Amino acid sequence: MSHATTIDHHHDASTATGIPNKKLFMWAFLASDCMFFGALISTHLIYRLHPPPGSPSPRQIFSIELTSFSTFILLMSSLLMALAVNAIQKGHLRSTRHNLLGTIFFGLIFLGCQVFEFSHFVHEKGLTLSNSIFGSTFFTLTGTHGCHVAIGVLWLILTYIRSFKPADADAGRPWLGRAFAHFLVFAVTIVASMTCVLGFFDAHEAHQSLGVFASQHILALGATVVGLFTLAGFGRSKVPVEFGEANAIDVEGMGLYWHFVDIVWIVIFTAVYLLEYL
Amino acid sequence: MDAPPDISTPPANNSAHSKFHTFVQIAMTLSVITGIEIVLVYLPFAKWLIVSTLVILSAVKFLFVIFYFMHLRWDKVFCTILFFIGLILAMGTVAALLALFGAEASAPLTSQIMDLTRSQA
Repeated sequence: MSHATTIDHHHDASTATGIPNKKLFMWAFLASDCMFFGALISTHLIYRLHPPPGSPSPRQIFSIELTSFSTFILLMSSLLMALAVNAIQKGHLRSTRHNLLGTIFFGLIFLGCQVFEFSHFVHEKGLTLSNSIFGSTFFTLTGTHGCHVAIGVLWLILTYIRSFKPADADAGRPWLGRAFAHFLVFAVTIVASMTCVLGFFDAHEAHQSLGVFASQHILALGATVVGLFTLAGFGRSKVPVEFGEANAIDVEGMGLYWHFVDIVWIVIFTAVYLLEYL
Repeated sequence: MDAPPDISTPPANNSAHSKFHTFVQIAMTLSVITGIEIVLVYLPFAKWLIVSTLVILSAVKFLFVIFYFMHLRWDKVFCTILFFIGLILAMGTVAALLALFGAEASAPLTSQIMDLTRSQA
């Protein structure tokens, strides 16, 4: 299956620049996204330099433990993404799929942490998008980053599903239906499992027993279990697929986007969170 | 007589193995740096020293990710130039805005200052 010596993944002699066009596009996009996040980060910092009277104290609102955990999770997801690219460049499809699933899982944990954090800030700390300049700039910046992570997770899921496309061209139309079903199961499982996890933390904070939590979330728990088994069933497909080493550039492009999300968080973690503790 | 085995080029599997280890080692390094950053903000050092160290550590993490995880180290240098054009423009914008709005004269007027200005007029 491996054709490691046949494809040069870093150079493409057929283009004027010697760089694969998809990769060049992605680097140009990321360069422009740098400026986008630069504007959002500087807006937040400017208002932190001159906080208006009555502005909330971020140190009393932030949870450094939760944010540090999110940072660690995102770093580990970057590692799995790098390993996924490394695996597909060697034609190791099974390993690529496992690493993609791991990246999706860690990305979802990060998003779950962000949902929990936002919910905590709004309901417990009274910080909303519109009741202070700090809330506006903070939610806009971290929310935009969260949207990038969500888009990345969606992209990862679509690539994972695409890796099951059969090599047989005649099977194209039936596969579209199967891919749509695969995506639907992913979506239902993610929403149900997120509901369960966030519900569990709410129940824990409200000192409710596991029995009460289970009875209140019976539908979500059931959907999660059924969804996970269905996904495992989809993943056991043995049909020969067209996805392979030739698609390494697609996985690499997605990887570049995912790592970019990680480096933006590296800057946000320091500039928005850590500096408040000085 | 048989030709001697070529030992100058390692087998492909070996090189792939080392790349895997490189990625894992970098991820561990990034985690340790993050841990140092978190501890650093609680240490009783001068503020300028902590801020400078945090900026340097974040830059190190940033560079590790773009050059290793994002493969810039192995790609054509044009990718690096293209990305750094956007990055430098963004950093320049951030620096210029912070210098402009960080100045004392840019501090927003509070209600007390506005009342004082009105009474003087």
